[in-house]
Amino acid sequence: MQGSSKVFIIKAQGVINSERNVSEDLVYTMMKLGLNVTAGDANISICDLLPNKPTGIKINTIGGLKLSTRPETAMALAKVLTEECVKPNNIIIWDRTNRELKEAGFKLNNDRNQINIYGTDTSGVGYDRELTSHLNIGSLFSTIQSKQIFNSISLALLKDHGLAGITAGMKNYYGAVHNPNKYHDYNCDPFVAELFHTDHIKKKHTISILDCLEVQYHRGPSFHSAWLEKSESLIFGLDPVAVDQVGWQMIEKFREKKGLPSLKEETREPSYLKTAEKLGLGYNDPKKIEIIEKQI
Amino acid sequence: MKRREFIKTAGTAGLAAGTCPASLMSKSYVYLQPPNLSQVEASFYEKHPDREIKCLLCPRFCKLGDKERGYCGVRENRDGIYYTLVYGKACTVQIDPIEKKPFFHFLPGERTLSFATAGCNVNCKFCQNWEISQVRPEQIDHFDFPPEQVIYAAQKNRCPVIAYTYSEPMVFFEYMYDTSAKAHKNGIKNVVVTGGHVNPEPLIKLIEVVDGIKVDLKAFSQDFYTQYVRGELKPVLEAIKLIAQSDVWLEIVYLVIPSLNDQPDELRRLCDWLIEAAGPSVPIHFSRFHPMYLLKNLPPTPLSTLEKAWETARQAGLQFVYIGNVPGHQAENTYCPKCEQTLVKRNVYAITENRIKKGKCTNCGCPIPGVWS
Repeated sequence: MQGSSKVFIIKAQGVINSERNVSEDLVYTMMKLGLNVTAGDANISICDLLPNKPTGIKINTIGGLKLSTRPETAMALAKVLTEECVKPNNIIIWDRTNRELKEAGFKLNNDRNQINIYGTDTSGVGYDRELTSHLNIGSLFSTIQSKQIFNSISLALLKDHGLAGITAGMKNYYGAVHNPNKYHDYNCDPFVAELFHTDHIKKKHTISILDCLEVQYHRGPSFHSAWLEKSESLIFGLDPVAVDQVGWQMIEKFREKKGLPSLKEETREPSYLKTAEKLGLGYNDPKKIEIIEKQI
Repeated sequence: MKRREFIKTAGTAGLAAGTCPASLMSKSYVYLQPPNLSQVEASFYEKHPDREIKCLLCPRFCKLGDKERGYCGVRENRDGIYYTLVYGKACTVQIDPIEKKPFFHFLPGERTLSFATAGCNVNCKFCQNWEISQVRPEQIDHFDFPPEQVIYAAQKNRCPVIAYTYSEPMVFFEYMYDTSAKAHKNGIKNVVVTGGHVNPEPLIKLIEVVDGIKVDLKAFSQDFYTQYVRGELKPVLEAIKLIAQSDVWLEIVYLVIPSLNDQPDELRRLCDWLIEAAGPSVPIHFSRFHPMYLLKNLPPTPLSTLEKAWETARQAGLQFVYIGNVPGHQAENTYCPKCEQTLVKRNVYAITENRIKKGKCTNCGCPIPGVWS
């Protein structure tokens, strides 16, 4: 790790309207700017960061149509990648099941010339036959994560989580294994961090992007409209811990504004971030995280 | 197809191992139909505001929002109603001798129609059946096997006993309960092989319709349960007490794992507790551990360790102490606690001699506790 990490927040007023519809143009512009500044800050191009190799975009669709990574966001990311270096047939937008993908509004696609969208339960995909055993983790990985892709992007929806505190870029990879239900004890700590620390994720993860167009800051991870707030932003970063830390603070700000107790007061602060820092996955200490905001 | 083969081929059809493909689309994929899961409302849960529920089946008390699934992986909240996804959805079925469960005091030599669904409410690092217990039902092949068909299969295959086993039957409680109740009406007995990680209310209900319960007591320390089981010891002990106080036949299995739960003082405390909770005649099986799943760094249990455990239990006063997973060992046999006559001679799962008649030792007439007819 370097001495500090940068996290970029890209905002665009009007990217989502009162009917919760997303402006595809604006979200594309946000995505392009976010990737450019993130790569540029590391003195590389988007092509250097994400070359033309099999690239997974891991999204989070467990929340159905109302509370999942938005198709507009995922497709905007895929569009930017294809405009740069990655051929469409080298992109997979994916999650656990085709049912969840469809319920979240994604159109499944396995056309050989287009962007692929499918779940692990697709015939011929499935989970590894051999267990990956690492620290407290013992799981079968989706073959998408373990075998099909070379680079991995976590494109998660930021939201409150009743156990982990928040669900963001790191916990998004729970959907890459067959048994996420086994990793929710003790506020999901150390499981979120240790799962990320497996070679299948750590060695392939390239960038975390949080979909924060709207943020549910309380009573997650299920959808509750009463605690949903527009943020009209996307968060980008190469440090997965720092990105989640910034996402956490965004949720805390909403909670404070609404008079809710902090996650710490509710004994569910995302302690996995400290564990992740100890494992050398990135920075959790806000003093070591530089936040750069850009408005479109 | 044998169960192991079945399990190994089920649900994990992945790509061949290798490096990343040059292009993802070297083949086309076929989209599966949605998995054939059940949608039967679960028992034992509370409805909370905002479509949330609290599961009351096991000591985890999972609190779940809409679309969330419990730790067991087979019970799901859908729009505020809690469903079992595995009712009538068996993933493995086999005919086993009852000694394989093991039950040694329950109809020796009889055949059991044994089956399971996916799922378990703990995550033992030494699980022998993790390929079915630690997966979700949609991740493994399963088939429709409703209670009526289970009973028909038992009758057709001359099995006087149905065994709910392999994974953790408590997580398919509704399926097990309904099958058991119908089996009783057809003169078939029911036995359950469980970790005992269940709340009293469902257990009391289950006791009404089953005849035997074997509890896998994993250790006698909470530390072990925290680290290697991911569960709680206390509710298991409470479950054992509850079963012992009922008319249901109880046997205990203790998998002896080198260096982790094999200390003589721990075993002595366990035996003393067991005598107080269930009496000296409850059978206990000390089974040999073999490295598997997430605990592959330990050797199989030395025979000397198992024999020490056997001695400890006998010295504590337990009358029926067995050594398991050691074929041909004399501690596989049942001996009369009074005259020490060999009563049931076993070789692996086969009964080679049975000198129990009408529940008594044929030599001295001492009553031998168990279910013999």
